[in-house]
Amino acid sequence: MKKTILLLLILCFSFSGCEKDDICDANTVTTPRLVVTFYDFNNSSVEKTVDNLSIIAEGMEEPITFSGSNLINGSTVSIPLKLDADTTTFRFTLNSGSTNPAALPNEDIIQFNYRRDNIFVSRACGFKTNFTLNGNSPFVHSDAATADGKWMLQVNVKNNIIANENETHLEIFF
Amino acid sequence: MKHTLKYFFSSCLILSLFFANAQETTPTIKSKDTVTTGVLPKKPAIVTKTAVVSKTDSIVAPVKTNRYGIRVGVDLYRLSRSFYDKDYKGIELVGDYRLDKRRYLAVEVGNENKTTDDDRLNFTTKGSYIKAGFDYNGYENWLDMENIISIGLRYGFSTFNQELNNFRIYNSNQYFGEIPPIASGQKFNGLTASWIEVVAGMKAKVFNNVFLGFSLRFNRLISNKQPNNFENLYIPGFNRTYNGDFGVGFNYTVTYFVPIFKKKVVPVETKKETKKK
Repeated sequence: MKKTILLLLILCFSFSGCEKDDICDANTVTTPRLVVTFYDFNNSSVEKTVDNLSIIAEGMEEPITFSGSNLINGSTVSIPLKLDADTTTFRFTLNSGSTNPAALPNEDIIQFNYRRDNIFVSRACGFKTNFTLNGNSPFVHSDAATADGKWMLQVNVKNNIIANENETHLEIFF
Repeated sequence: MKHTLKYFFSSCLILSLFFANAQETTPTIKSKDTVTTGVLPKKPAIVTKTAVVSKTDSIVAPVKTNRYGIRVGVDLYRLSRSFYDKDYKGIELVGDYRLDKRRYLAVEVGNENKTTDDDRLNFTTKGSYIKAGFDYNGYENWLDMENIISIGLRYGFSTFNQELNNFRIYNSNQYFGEIPPIASGQKFNGLTASWIEVVAGMKAKVFNNVFLGFSLRFNRLISNKQPNNFENLYIPGFNRTYNGDFGVGFNYTVTYFVPIFKKKVVPVETKKETKKK
């Protein structure tokens, strides 16, 4: 009898340690960002790096941070979408802060239109939001207030369902 | 962390309870060999049937009786929690019926209404449950004592509904900041779950026919009808669910024993004599 009680106590203690589901694991797939990949307009299969691209959402002061930097120098970037609205507008400024006359800043505006689906993940993580870009008007591409011509020559939707960050959702050719 | 501590301390409390009783059992183990009980095997010694036997008879004289009947009661933990926890309303009625010397048929019936407020979720679970099974008393009582230290099994079944009150969306990117919890109000009806419980319990007679009991339960889900786009994070009777199928529970009962009949535990030796006469 004593042994059974001891065994039960050990079981009991082992159970008290099982509280790991109180913290949302960083590896859990939660709300994804929109993944944008940049391509060369003249050679559409080759990825092209952007120089000092800054992306600021409408109504925000600071540009988004990607890989620890406000200025994006690379061929891919992930952008967060608003969870409390069905549209998010971003100002994409190439050569941000540059004074070089050969590569002056150029601003384009893209408004994303999407549907939000809240999906249950777990007790610790709560819910996540998946986005689906609208079929007929997934985005609206326009030039900035100061007309300096669009630097993005073509914008394509690759995947209109944004459920993870492992694939490109939007392709920009310039 | 708060929960971990809570479980740790309650485990320590359980520990202290059990050890107090474990010590009591030691003398009775010895007594098993000397004091005659109903299950003692027939002794092969039929050699002496003289005056010596009648002497031993006089020693056996205080005849032990086992009382049989129904024990009914209520879980004090669930009852009291309904008063101090505004997010909880529940009651559990317990009952058992003594089958033979050691075995009891046991039933628990309950109803719970609990609002769970987690960091990211807030939901209300309402439902009823029934647990049925048996207890096996491993405690050897002195004379007419009726204490119980038991191991048992239960099959539990619960029918319930969940209502998601509000939830938070997990977003590892904080560019737009954390958005406030979203009110939902979505209801998930017609949910069921069933499980097996291993019960370790004890009941002590405090006075007359009133018993105080405590039991600790380890549960394992057998079936669980999950809602769509949500999960049964709490099941009435089963308690909170973890990532796997396991769960824990306990109750603290006060029960009243209703005696129905008595069985005399007649020592085997005297029985033998009456047969031969």
